[in-house]
Amino acid sequence: MSAPVGNPFTITVNGAEVEAKPGETVLEAAGRAGVEIPTLCHDDRLDPMGSCRMCLVEVTGQRRMQPACAWKATPGQTVVTESERIERHRKLLLELYLADHAPPGPDAIGPRNQVLELAQACGAERRLPSVAAPREMRVDANPYIEFDADQCILCARCVRYCDEVEAVSAITLGGRGSHTTIATAGQVGLLDTTCELCGGCIDTCPTGAMREKKPGLLQEAQVTKTRSTCNFCGVGCQLDLNVVDDKVVRVTSPPPGETLNDGNLCIKGRFAYDFIHHPERLTTPLVRGSDGNLREASWEEALQAAAKGLLGVKERHGADALGFISSSRCTGEENYLVQKLARAAFGTNNCHQCAAT
Amino acid sequence: MLPKGAQRERILPVLEDVTHHGRITPAALDEVRRATGVPAADVHGVASFYTLLGGEPRTRVCQGLTCKLAGSDALLASFEARGEPVQAVSCLGQCDRAPAALDPELEVVAERPRGAVTPDDPELAMNLAGAETTDYLALKRSRDLGAEDVLDALDASGLQGRGGAGFPAGRKWRAVREQAVTERYVVCNADEAEPGTFKDREVMLRRPHLLLEGIAIAAEVAGAADAYIYIRGEFTAERRSVEAALAAAGDVFGDLRIHFVSGHGAYICGEETALLESMEGKRGMPRLKPPYPTEQGFRGKPTLMNNVETLACVPGIVLRGGAWFKALGTTDAGTKLYCLSGHVVNPGVYELPLGVTLEALVAAAGGYVGTPIAFSPGGASAGYLPISKRDVPLDFKHLAEAGSMLGSAGVVVLNDTVDMAEAVQHQAVFFEDESCGQCAPCRIGTRVLRRALATYLTSGDPSALDPVRDVAWEMEEGSICGLGIAAPLPLTTALTHFPSAFAARPGRDA
Repeated sequence: MSAPVGNPFTITVNGAEVEAKPGETVLEAAGRAGVEIPTLCHDDRLDPMGSCRMCLVEVTGQRRMQPACAWKATPGQTVVTESERIERHRKLLLELYLADHAPPGPDAIGPRNQVLELAQACGAERRLPSVAAPREMRVDANPYIEFDADQCILCARCVRYCDEVEAVSAITLGGRGSHTTIATAGQVGLLDTTCELCGGCIDTCPTGAMREKKPGLLQEAQVTKTRSTCNFCGVGCQLDLNVVDDKVVRVTSPPPGETLNDGNLCIKGRFAYDFIHHPERLTTPLVRGSDGNLREASWEEALQAAAKGLLGVKERHGADALGFISSSRCTGEENYLVQKLARAAFGTNNCHQCAAT
Repeated sequence: MLPKGAQRERILPVLEDVTHHGRITPAALDEVRRATGVPAADVHGVASFYTLLGGEPRTRVCQGLTCKLAGSDALLASFEARGEPVQAVSCLGQCDRAPAALDPELEVVAERPRGAVTPDDPELAMNLAGAETTDYLALKRSRDLGAEDVLDALDASGLQGRGGAGFPAGRKWRAVREQAVTERYVVCNADEAEPGTFKDREVMLRRPHLLLEGIAIAAEVAGAADAYIYIRGEFTAERRSVEAALAAAGDVFGDLRIHFVSGHGAYICGEETALLESMEGKRGMPRLKPPYPTEQGFRGKPTLMNNVETLACVPGIVLRGGAWFKALGTTDAGTKLYCLSGHVVNPGVYELPLGVTLEALVAAAGGYVGTPIAFSPGGASAGYLPISKRDVPLDFKHLAEAGSMLGSAGVVVLNDTVDMAEAVQHQAVFFEDESCGQCAPCRIGTRVLRRALATYLTSGDPSALDPVRDVAWEMEEGSICGLGIAAPLPLTTALTHFPSAFAARPGRDA
């Protein structure tokens, strides 16, 4: 979609003048001015749905409150984001969500749940009896992603992410009314769908209903995050290694908008981290001795051994007896260095990259 | 290759071809995916939204208020006793012949013939009892007049949309005509499903040519080459009637193409933007407004959508003038099809001046049965009024002032044999079943209300109803569309007008 053109204009938010650009929503304009409007179904990467109703604000001339995430700012518009009416709305809405939400157990630790956080912030309590919505549950044998329908608020961020960002459409809103849930075609497991197990549904879920199977129920406070670069391919996605007690227990993406992968990861980047603490992982170079056994060596020693062997081949059979194949896990820079090594150091054009076929 | 959107529009017809109205298997979903290019998950999501799709062949017994009063529970039980597959479903629009059911082929099974209509009177705007004419004089006259004169007549007529909202028809038509985009559509909303309402049914069965003529005039004024009639899936006879009329009309419509789209079982699709979603092969979840359908409707193009009755009023206005139509009403313009059922002698569709009182309406229908205590003036969405309001004009303005609404003018009368709390429970069940589930205030709110009422009826303890006012407030303020706004009304209006019906009482278990 091309960005609308035109000059910025001002709108009034809570009595203060705020600059807005053509095509911008009230949420965007207010957000840039530091006015926080709570949201649940909003994700910058997705088209606004306006279904969670969390971001309703008062707009002059509108009898009903309007969703800031979808409402376009127009010149001279006056918006109120804090009022008695809005406060009452937020509290009652959250109490409805709580009535539709399994309460956490006494020792529960889980992923971040923005409904519970907002409920606390807005003073919403579990006043209403549980509505015990009759949702169809789905058994899913895939190793990575699980879905807890009783934590789901049906904001459809996962469904829209799967469609709008990944173009995979493995999941859908299924059923109707209080039966509505996140479904697959015929309610089969994700392995039998078009799902690529990228886990983006987990990343965008505001309540932890879509969550990772592997680390169990982690509490955010235990985790320290270390920014790193994914080394499964050359794209260079940034990822945050989630560490507890010096162990990587989960990999998440930096927030959308911060890095080139814009909050997205693939199945490898997000889930294939078992090798980090695997007992068979190689942590030092190994050099095979004359007795045929591998032994630990320093990098210096290992590189010398490799160079000696390669130069030996060149001496005996000529440079074109050598061939250099680099991995698709290498970056562009690393691939450059491999061909430089082949051509400049060994004098052969026999170089290839395994993804270059 | 058709564009993706056009393929999506095909998924439900293709699914019906694949499943023959039977069970929807993963293999069937995959077949639809291959035929249309729409992801299988999306097909599942859409199919699981609609109640007429999937499952084994079965009889569907109406759970509308009038059918409930007339003993639909016993009807349901009789099917179960015989071991025949049966399902309780939302109002089937057969309130004048309650209790009603649909057989597995979606044909109506009812104890009685359809109810009364107003006697033949050529002075009525639609005159359902009159002889159907096929000369299409109004269409010809509209071509002679030109679009601007038709619009002027429509404005002068004061015709307000008969689907429930009462929006001035002339303004809506003009809004579409003034759009810069030239690809435009006309949609006739024949998804009549408001409980207690069966007027569009009678128009389609008795005066299909009148409807087609109204659609054709609308298309000429709006500049649309295609018009769609979206008929609720339960109305099989009605679709046949309009299809037959279209075939009989010959080439009177010129280049206009008139298409039929069947609903698949979802009350919410009567809401205009949900209807558009449904036409586009999606789950019938209402869109955020703006943009309005007049700007971005079907396929994102300007769309003129009117109710069946609204369109059926148009030929008379074109032929006899706006002033003539306006003078037919009392407090508001024109005549109105009132659907009357419940505790009255002759249920049926009565075309009376807009603004008639309940008293006059019931008099036309032979009087009350028993001692009336309450009435619902405009379908479930209008809530309940006490019988003391029997002299309030049944129009848009006065009913709104009374805390109710004209809506679709599905008037249901209740007498003193009715437990108001039970009557409210039927509507609460309806709204929970028919909420689309998109927004939390409606999806969760309807369920909270239904369960609060059930708890009250079981325990007899009125404290179960304590949360009702807050939840109703939030549903009205927070819901996306009118369903969520209207859903609490049966309960809140009954609490206001019939407080004694919700006092402490012996529980059902006691």
